Amino acid sequence: MGNGIWRISRARGRAHLPLAVVGALAVILILFGKAQSSLFDRARTDVIDWMRPALVATRIPMEAMSRWAGSIGNIFWVYQENLKLKEDNARLKQWRNTAQVLTERLQRYQLLLNAVPDPALSTVVARVIGRANHPFLQTMILDAGKANGVKPGQAVMDQRGMIGRVYLTGEHTSWVILLSDLNSRVPVSIEPNTDQAIMGGDNSPMPVIETLAHGVQLKADSQVVTSGDGDILPAGIPIGVIVPDGRRYRVALFADQTTAQDVQIVDYKIKPEHPPSVAQQELPVTAAGLAPVAPQPQLTQQQQVAPLPPPVFKPPAAVTPQKTPGQAAPQPGSDAETGNQ
Amino acid sequence: MERLGSLWGGKFFANLLPVFFGMLGVIITNLPFSVLGSWIPSPMYALMPIYYWCLVRPDLMTPGWAFLIGVAHDVISGEPPGIWAAAFVATYAAIDKQRDAFAGLSGLGAILGFATATLVACSVHYVIFSLYRWQLMPVTGSIKEFAVTSILYIPVVVVLAYMHRRFVGPLRREF
Repeated sequence: MGNGIWRISRARGRAHLPLAVVGALAVILILFGKAQSSLFDRARTDVIDWMRPALVATRIPMEAMSRWAGSIGNIFWVYQENLKLKEDNARLKQWRNTAQVLTERLQRYQLLLNAVPDPALSTVVARVIGRANHPFLQTMILDAGKANGVKPGQAVMDQRGMIGRVYLTGEHTSWVILLSDLNSRVPVSIEPNTDQAIMGGDNSPMPVIETLAHGVQLKADSQVVTSGDGDILPAGIPIGVIVPDGRRYRVALFADQTTAQDVQIVDYKIKPEHPPSVAQQELPVTAAGLAPVAPQPQLTQQQQVAPLPPPVFKPPAAVTPQKTPGQAAPQPGSDAETGNQ
Repeated sequence: MERLGSLWGGKFFANLLPVFFGMLGVIITNLPFSVLGSWIPSPMYALMPIYYWCLVRPDLMTPGWAFLIGVAHDVISGEPPGIWAAAFVATYAAIDKQRDAFAGLSGLGAILGFATATLVACSVHYVIFSLYRWQLMPVTGSIKEFAVTSILYIPVVVVLAYMHRRFVGPLRREF
């Protein structure tokens, strides 16, 4: 048993061949993955679907441990936390009343304007069973997939705001690219002026505002929401607030990607808009007390007027200019012909 | 103390234990819990069993296993295929080349030895990813990953050494 020394296999000579082989395999895998990424993605989703029970099983003790470890620190801050929560609660109640009043007012305005209502969004609640937080990659694995109606491109949010977008779906799992990931680009709108911009991740906790219109100055704490451009994401999902960072602007996200455990996947499909039909009484002519114009009878195919033939230039025959020596006849299009001097 | 491998009449369990720990490291790295918050990347737990058993039992942790652990890391983390696999194989090659030097280290030296292996893995990963994306990637994340992995090797190696002593063997008593 323990003899106090390293017992190392001296199989270096034998190990060199497999090392070269697996090195070559790794390079081939990289090149193949670059060329056929969809094939590898399919394999990836199948493997994760297969591994899902293992991920869920590993998650349970880790979650308990994480909760236990987190609660140790909280014991020392219970009193202060309680006071802060009471203060927040009182303030939030005021905001709730304000929000209710504004919502009712908005509904009245929409009714008056016959505005097209926002499309109803359905959501799927999913659990986070995996999270990759690597130097060049920040993704999540959710335990909901095609079987639950999840599709690539859908927005993922927690109770505070948007977290990311689904980019790969398996049968029972899906992958989410987080807003802070290097590959994330989301069209956003910055309130109150609804400045349009693109928000891109750079693997830091706060994504960067990119592609902002020239000369636009943003204010700190301005709210950032999805703009809905491209018809991929619904408009108005809260994302975060603006934080100036030197010459650039960053977005402090509302959602905490590291603590989110249960998330919502927003199912957004552009449906054809059918505005409410206009009643006769609402027409301006009727409102002014005038009789509405009778509708024109529809012309049949035979009654339709044939299109006019193109105009043909005919030179005037009545007046013949007298030719003088040294004067040429006016050419079509010349100033003498058109009268322009 | 009798090893579990010998209880089974073969070395099946003992042979699979290093790979099992490598795969477990891959899963733990990608679990949705972070003690250190989002500003520190997850440590490369999978590299720890590769390094440890590549030194003490390279017959159990072969380059093929290192490659497969890397592929599993790529699959679960969502990175482009082959990048972690190549990084782990390159690290394995570095450890294999300097095995005598690494194996002779103890105490703080052993931690520094692992830090060197981690530096190789992070550097190779950085270079391959930059080539893959054809752009110079920010280096801060890799530095943080290197630091946190090197530090967390200290508690993890205690568990690995215990498992090695208990089930796999042989044992290095001085560690």
